[in-house]
Amino acid sequence: MKIGIPRALMFYRYYPFLESFLEGCGCEVKPSPPTNLKVLGEGTDICVDDVCVAVKVLFGHVSQLAGRVDAVLIPRLVSVEKKGYDTFTCPKLIAAPDMIRYSFPGLPAPLEFVVDVSSMPWWWSCLRLARRLKLPLRGFPQVYGKAMRQQERFDGLLHRGLLPSEALAKMAGGNGSPPPAYLSQRDVTVAVVGHPYLLGDPIVNKRLVHWLDMSGARVLGSTMLGKEELDAEARTLPPLSWSYEKELMAAASLFLKRGDVDGVIYLTSFGCGPDSLVTEMVRRELKPAGGQVLLDLVLDEHSAESGVRTRAEAFVDLLRHRKRRCAGTGRVP
Amino acid sequence: MKIAFPHMGNAYIPLKSLVEYMGVEAVVPERPNRRTLELGARHAPEFVCLPFKITLGDCMNALEGGADTMAMVCGMWACRFGYYAYVQHLILRDLGYEFDSLLIGREDWRAVFDKVRAAVGGRKVPRLAGAFAMLRAKARAVEELEVLARRLRPREEVPGSTDTLMEEYLEKLDRAASLRGVKELRLEQHEAMTALPLRPPNGTLRVRIVGELYVLLEPSLNFELVKRLGTQFGVEAQPVLSTYRWLLSSLWLDPLLHVSSSRARRATRAYLPYVLGGEEHMTIAGTLGAPDDGFDGVIHAYPLTCMPENICRTILPHITRENDIPLLDLCFDEHTSTVGTMTRLEAFIEMLRSRREKGSHSC
Repeated sequence: MKIGIPRALMFYRYYPFLESFLEGCGCEVKPSPPTNLKVLGEGTDICVDDVCVAVKVLFGHVSQLAGRVDAVLIPRLVSVEKKGYDTFTCPKLIAAPDMIRYSFPGLPAPLEFVVDVSSMPWWWSCLRLARRLKLPLRGFPQVYGKAMRQQERFDGLLHRGLLPSEALAKMAGGNGSPPPAYLSQRDVTVAVVGHPYLLGDPIVNKRLVHWLDMSGARVLGSTMLGKEELDAEARTLPPLSWSYEKELMAAASLFLKRGDVDGVIYLTSFGCGPDSLVTEMVRRELKPAGGQVLLDLVLDEHSAESGVRTRAEAFVDLLRHRKRRCAGTGRVP
Repeated sequence: MKIAFPHMGNAYIPLKSLVEYMGVEAVVPERPNRRTLELGARHAPEFVCLPFKITLGDCMNALEGGADTMAMVCGMWACRFGYYAYVQHLILRDLGYEFDSLLIGREDWRAVFDKVRAAVGGRKVPRLAGAFAMLRAKARAVEELEVLARRLRPREEVPGSTDTLMEEYLEKLDRAASLRGVKELRLEQHEAMTALPLRPPNGTLRVRIVGELYVLLEPSLNFELVKRLGTQFGVEAQPVLSTYRWLLSSLWLDPLLHVSSSRARRATRAYLPYVLGGEEHMTIAGTLGAPDDGFDGVIHAYPLTCMPENICRTILPHITRENDIPLLDLCFDEHTSTVGTMTRLEAFIEMLRSRREKGSHSC
């Protein structure tokens, strides 16, 4: 059985796990090709107009896979952590399979992978997925364990600073490739905080990391921070029940406290519901400890590469200027 | 303690009586209007949904009007509404306003209760039950008035007579100070409203309005959609949500609302198996049931970037195609113009009318 996984949203978080798990169960996994402008345009055409660009990209990828695979797997992320209170992801992630089902009437209903950690553990979701695919359950523990190891390897790569797209490429066999340039030590360090699906997709973020790198900045991504670190930080911040946004807020807070970070870019997409409020909380509640600069960068499907490039360059210039001016005086920039 | 809360349709009448019955002073800012929206939009985050912007402006009006405590319902939900008050109060404090926050739902009940008790001087707590009875009575009176007015508007002989009468009674209701007074007023208003001269029946079109709560209930935001449909277009418009529903179901004061709500959830499950935190169940169930309830069309009204309603938007075309009922999407933001909305409404109503005529010919 050939299962297509769209290269959007949760692809940048859970793909290594899903790939390894499904292959272990005897399926053939086919990810959709990397986003290009055609995919983006197609998604924008099919999807309703005022949702965030990441969801539109998902629609584009599903339409790429349509007809070429036996089933399209869409994760349905209801909750991704177990807490004493209700936790959610964005409503669009909760209802992604429903949106796909009614927007592609010609396709068979998408294969759902329901993640609802607050009411059932992760392995149970996997078991249900395997049952739904009528896969043999005999080797489940081994397959599951192997998939978990793959995911850990992926998380380890992210932790070392690689962005999701590079980490995925490395997992796919590019082991000999040199570490990306944006990780090397430079005079200015910029931390980019944003959802993995924005950070990881160069068509959506208009190669922001590339432009920061070209301007001579070292780039840290919010994906490199570990779960424990983020959880500990989140406890000091106002409570949020959106798990992913809570992570981003904690990431922004951590970066703003770090001495080696000169500036933070909070990457959001226009129409992202939770982010519209969380950016406001970040801007008003978090106080940069070392005088870091915070920049909100809003993306949408009309964002031009030149616009993002100009802003990246200007931001790095600004940081460098501030740093140089304060270098001799010994005061915090 | 001078307490204020943002407007939502006629909800201020029961809420004000709730607060005043407990012995706390209530500040009711002016009804939201274009200026309120512009004020709010100036200080609100850019792509937050419209209700946030207008209630922010509303809060600013209330604080200018002398309020020292801002109350609002909030919580930790998947929908953005739960975080409104928290973020709005951050913004307001940054703007230099000084006030106390009463975050009902986010702070625990005891904290809210203690604050109120401190404000009323600790003695008058037994009046709490009476205050809620008052809220309930007034909410019911407002609801009755609204339901009746929606039915009468397209049928009245003198255009605008329903609204004149309604304004008058809303004012009286706002002033009523006792449960007995509210009851008498209810009977009186019912009599007066039903005595209005009507035109001979001529097959009035009926439209159901579904969508986001605030857009449905706040006339200043939806350009008085319901009223206009009634008096200007001669169409009976029935929204699926009402102030009564919103106030009483969250306070568990009317079990029937929960019955209808869970029925709606059950109907929605086939389309949206998981709860999204908004009014998506009412939107979907309302559209599903519209043909059976005798409606000619459905209007879906929602603010720009509203998360649950956008998801409904991908599903509604499918439902309306299956059930053969026309659907009009109305998206509102601070740039939406009256003229554009009216043109679309006009075209939609015209279409419904010709559809009905065609239907009656073929029968």
